[in-house]
Amino acid sequence: MALNRQIAYIDLTTGDVKMKPIPIEIRKLFLGGRGLDMYLMYNHIEPGIDPLGPDNVVFVSAGILGGTLASASSRTHIGGKSPLTGFIGSANMGGFFAPELRWAGFDHIVIKGRAEKPSYLWINNGEIAIRDAGSIWGQTVHDTQQIIREELGDRDIKVLTIGLAGEKLVRFANVMTGMKDAGGRSGMGALLGSKNLKAIAVRGTMDIKIEHPEEALEYNRKIISQITSAKVSQTQGKLGTPFIWGATNTQGLIRVRNFQLNQLENADEVEPEALEELATGMAGCFGCQVHCRSKYIIPEGPYAGVYDEGPEYTSQGAFAGEPGCRSANTILVGNHLVNIYGLDNLETGSMIAWAMELYEKGILTIKDTDGLELRFGNDEALIEMVHRIAKRQGLGDILAEGPLRAAEKIGKDSIKYLIHVKGMSNLHSDERATPALALGIATGSRGADHLRSRPAIDLYHLPESVLRSIYSQPVPYDGPLSSDYHDYEGKPWQVRWQEMCYEAVDCLGICKYHTVFLGATLPSFEEWSELLYYNTGLELSPLDIWNVADRAYNIERLFNIREGMTREHDWLVDRYFDEPTKLGIPNIQGRTIDRDKFKRMIDEYYQHHGWDENGVPRPETLQKLGIENEPSHML
Amino acid sequence: MAKVLVIDYEKCTGCRLCELVCSVKHEGVSNPARSRIKIVKWEMEGRYVPMSCQQCESAPCQAVCPVNALSRDETLNRVVVDYDTCIGCRMCVAVCPFGAMSFDVLAKRIIKCDLCDGAPLCADFCEVDAIQYVDASQQSTTKQVTAADKLSEIMQKVAQAISTV
Amino acid sequence: MSEETTSESVAKGRTYGAFRCLNCFERVTVPTRTKTHKCPHCGFEWRISWIAPDFPRIRGPVWDVNRRLAEEATAKEKDGRE
Repeated sequence: MALNRQIAYIDLTTGDVKMKPIPIEIRKLFLGGRGLDMYLMYNHIEPGIDPLGPDNVVFVSAGILGGTLASASSRTHIGGKSPLTGFIGSANMGGFFAPELRWAGFDHIVIKGRAEKPSYLWINNGEIAIRDAGSIWGQTVHDTQQIIREELGDRDIKVLTIGLAGEKLVRFANVMTGMKDAGGRSGMGALLGSKNLKAIAVRGTMDIKIEHPEEALEYNRKIISQITSAKVSQTQGKLGTPFIWGATNTQGLIRVRNFQLNQLENADEVEPEALEELATGMAGCFGCQVHCRSKYIIPEGPYAGVYDEGPEYTSQGAFAGEPGCRSANTILVGNHLVNIYGLDNLETGSMIAWAMELYEKGILTIKDTDGLELRFGNDEALIEMVHRIAKRQGLGDILAEGPLRAAEKIGKDSIKYLIHVKGMSNLHSDERATPALALGIATGSRGADHLRSRPAIDLYHLPESVLRSIYSQPVPYDGPLSSDYHDYEGKPWQVRWQEMCYEAVDCLGICKYHTVFLGATLPSFEEWSELLYYNTGLELSPLDIWNVADRAYNIERLFNIREGMTREHDWLVDRYFDEPTKLGIPNIQGRTIDRDKFKRMIDEYYQHHGWDENGVPRPETLQKLGIENEPSHML
Repeated sequence: MAKVLVIDYEKCTGCRLCELVCSVKHEGVSNPARSRIKIVKWEMEGRYVPMSCQQCESAPCQAVCPVNALSRDETLNRVVVDYDTCIGCRMCVAVCPFGAMSFDVLAKRIIKCDLCDGAPLCADFCEVDAIQYVDASQQSTTKQVTAADKLSEIMQKVAQAISTV
Repeated sequence: MSEETTSESVAKGRTYGAFRCLNCFERVTVPTRTKTHKCPHCGFEWRISWIAPDFPRIRGPVWDVNRRLAEEATAKEKDGRE
């Protein structure tokens, strides 16, 4: 059945490989993917270990619906203690790796120890081998995949790999697959690098039994029409994720020149419609109808003629908004470089934009940059810094350490200009006018992040009745809800709800673009309950799925608290409170976050979670979810 | 008139949903290795080509079959396998010029596209119409229109370029 | 599955041929293929792109027009407060 996938434990130090079935009781508690990874993390990672030492553990998994008729059931989760923040490390990527892992017989891979020399894993129909990575160490993300396919003689092999950035232990290196599928955020690539593990190759031809095939096909048809009829999916299918720019930059909701401005004016060349003109077509992840991946060939410069995919909204921010650049070609080149080096585009863009502000303020000098005029709007300097970060050269070596460590090394007032939460940089979004979005980044379990709990539909001014029908299920909610994105009231519940929404799909292995993230009519808990039943036979109500998400999110919180997280970590940097926004529509101009109101939002958010005033889960909350005895070491 | 499966690989997004629905429909499982259609990919160039049985009029598989297990079904314009007769020798796999005949190693039998008995799911689920199930007479008409459209666009551009010189 | 899902009820509010003004959030109907359009409610002017013949979206502001309107509006608000 769809559930008889195994968990494999691999010790790279000793070469031991063990496999176990996953008990159904644990499935019902955590499903799979991120949820089960979090359970495993809390059980297998000892408190206080060095994230880049051999004691850290890497978790790679598919969601419980991976490879099934769940639509976009393509997501791979990668977990471990973050080398960037020291808290939860958690990354998620699309593409074709997770379904292939399941066809090869596995749902979860737990990797311990450290290989003596560069190695890679070869997982093929229930068998696992540790192989020498001599031929691929030092290779790009793209070349590594091709070399492995040639070496093993099968062009259908799917590969998860790190690039040079992971090998060089850049603390925000990604795990990658395909052209651009990026397990980004929190430095999981560095974690693989620290284990001398270059890649994981998988190939499988084993059945995943679909429990009710006729109904699963029929229900998939329904989900597809639900998705393709949503205007947001149509837009995304045409313009890719850059479409978001049309709403955010237009209003003044993005970070420009690090955090000095909130709109990139007169930059028509980097608008999604302009980028679309450069695209040669669209591609999709496994089983997905949205097809939001642009294919492109770089038009000009030293990389002219190179094929790649993307750029995503994040690359627009990293290579246009934040550094104040206005060239489509720069975005495409920057995007290509982070793809082949395996760098987090978002963290890379933020670090460079911060360094640019430091340079313009005289905190960094031309001596520090080895002759580079690291000014805003300097495209060449921007691209050069991407190389230097990946290769850890000069200032790049310092920036590769991530926000807080770099600020410590640079010293002076540099920390004042950082835009981060918990030591992780924020997306290129500016949340000063939108308290709900600000609360999301302040409280995200892996640091400043838009994919943990962002109530993006809060920007749409939806009628209160619509908000009510979305946010009062599957858990009843009769508190305030407001259509106005300036409000502080009711927003903590929206953040709490979205947190559960994203955690749930990360357990199921479905893409967030198929949820109530950017579109109010997209699938939610009701639909997932049906999908789960038709595909796996598991009968979980929408509320049961919510509880799985809640359980997993509480485990993340427990992990973070065990690593020293306090209420102070759920907070924004001072600039959000002290520097008003300068540009955009009148509604957005002159905005800051109000400290007192924000503090009350956090109180309310904790209450919704059943956490005390310090953000610690109350014993009765853990009891209610059945996780009061964690770590329970059942797996 | 009988319908045919028409594949326009330029429209394919490479999502492989066709492989998934095919294996679920025929075998009740998710397993592309048991799908009758396969997307052949050049991932690093962004080229994806769906490959399936062409239901050839003069079918090599049919010709090579030593026990005459393959025959032509004129109603649905397809080549069908009689599993009671088939001995599983895989000669048809060897001769098919498209690699569209395959051997299911789990079920130990030949598998090929049966057009889902007249309602092919791959075409049904393909949102971008890379796979379509249309009247045989329309196959070239559609191609003609697309090609003519591109051609006239180019001609217009040339005409414009000349007029501005 | 006879009961209406949340998504089905929300989808009933979907409209075509119109966009929501990103300044005043009123729905604005716009003639097909129009490239720029002034919001009849607030006067802000937008560059429009088309996802489908019945599906317009805001591509971006008409920069100089909206910048001037925003400056006027914020100056007025400041006066009001003083």
